Amino acid sequence: MLKILFPSIMLIPVTWFSPNKWLWTLLTMYSLMISFWSLMWFFSPLNNPMFINKYLYTDQLSTPLLILTCWLTPLMIIASQNHMINMPINQQRLYILTFIMLQLSLILAFSAMELTLFYIMFESTLIPTLIIITRWGNQTERLNAGIYFLFYTLMGSLPLLIALLTLQAESGSLMMTSMPFMTQIYPTQTNQIWWVACFIAFLVKLPLYGFHLWLPKAHVEAPVAGSMILAAILLKLGGYGIMRISIMMTPFTKDLVFPFLVISLWGIIMTSSICLRQADLKSLIAYSSVSHMALVIAAIIIQTPWGFTGATILMIAHGLSSSMLFCLANTNYERTHSRTMLLARGMQTILPLMATWWLLANLMNMALPPSPNLMGELTIITTLFNWSNITIILTGLGVIITALYSLYIFLTTQQGKMPEHLTAIYPTFTREHLLMNLHIIPMCLLICKPSLIWGMFT
Amino acid sequence: MVNIIGVIREHWTNVLVPLGFVIGWYWDKKNDEKLTAFRNKSLLFKRDLKPGEEFTWK
Repeated sequence: MLKILFPSIMLIPVTWFSPNKWLWTLLTMYSLMISFWSLMWFFSPLNNPMFINKYLYTDQLSTPLLILTCWLTPLMIIASQNHMINMPINQQRLYILTFIMLQLSLILAFSAMELTLFYIMFESTLIPTLIIITRWGNQTERLNAGIYFLFYTLMGSLPLLIALLTLQAESGSLMMTSMPFMTQIYPTQTNQIWWVACFIAFLVKLPLYGFHLWLPKAHVEAPVAGSMILAAILLKLGGYGIMRISIMMTPFTKDLVFPFLVISLWGIIMTSSICLRQADLKSLIAYSSVSHMALVIAAIIIQTPWGFTGATILMIAHGLSSSMLFCLANTNYERTHSRTMLLARGMQTILPLMATWWLLANLMNMALPPSPNLMGELTIITTLFNWSNITIILTGLGVIITALYSLYIFLTTQQGKMPEHLTAIYPTFTREHLLMNLHIIPMCLLICKPSLIWGMFT
Repeated sequence: MVNIIGVIREHWTNVLVPLGFVIGWYWDKKNDEKLTAFRNKSLLFKRDLKPGEEFTWK
């Protein structure tokens, strides 16, 4: 565990003291090196918690998320180079420093052994994210987005703090490793309030339909790196938290589960329908994240091994594919200076290789076989079908609409007649192709060995 | 002639991340040994080590 944590801490002095001309190269190289080192977490011959010390550990559930966190940092650095090139050097350093702080707090959050430490780190990820959105966003609306982001998440998580402190006082321990052996909390009236208090923080973070308004705003206003990390990792903190905390809250009661299940199932249809009428590219991708996360919520709430497995797979697969879509949206934005889809049509004729990446990213996002997204969605849909046959109507409709809006993005941006104001577009960089490849390669490798991301029930 | 001081001044930051890895590796190892020692003393897991065997977690 410390093998990754200490080098990540050392990235901070590297950011401050490396020579100006080497700054981006060094940081990309070292963070990539750390992400390769982090692959050792996959080594777990006994299917037990590994790499333990008194405060941190990893197991099958947290390992893929931890590795995704380490993998995303170099990608964020690569993606923001063009965005930051005209800034003063100290601001560039500060920007990278924010990513590193985010990586550190995410690693600590995913590997925390105690729920209190998890809570502290869950909250501390808010600060760097807020800084990324409100300092480096492009428009004045970013302040509004920052307020939405902060207050939705904080208001959701305050009840969790109280619930955790009460539990700590009553049981004396919040260790995740000993949680399965603790007394189960039976669903009395008071405990139902406690259940909601524990869950609402994570449901806002995921987000559940109805608590999702902060997400499209945050995505639209954040710079590319902010959108990438938000879609790929920060939303997954919610799913991870629910899976961890639900261990001690089984069995769920129908009174509590049904409303959330219904909202999340309805959310799949609603948010993916909203995608169909979006004019703003980033907002569309953000709503598609909400729709995918609704599937994850439904699967986790059902609480079967298949549900947990499907949710874990979809979280990782969606992390990679949505991050790639945001990168692609940024390449368009850097050339056309607009997020409006209709202003960037017919890009295939100008940037043909980029059109290939668009196609691949969209196919992954709409869960084309044999992508890991399909494995996740199929497992989740089977889980839901097993719980109640009628859900197939909702999930099936959701899948169709997902395919529709994925093709809608592709057709609108890549096909058609090129507008005349786009004649002076500069060509693509190798850096951009590298970035897309670094998203695609892990997805292709995961097709070959999906058991790496199956989570707790490998 | 290579200006060694110049090279060091320019590139000393390259040492930091590998140094962090080494420190982390060392502390991880110390911690493993500590936990193993505890496990070897516990009633549930204790056993006599084979001749020449240092840790049970290898």
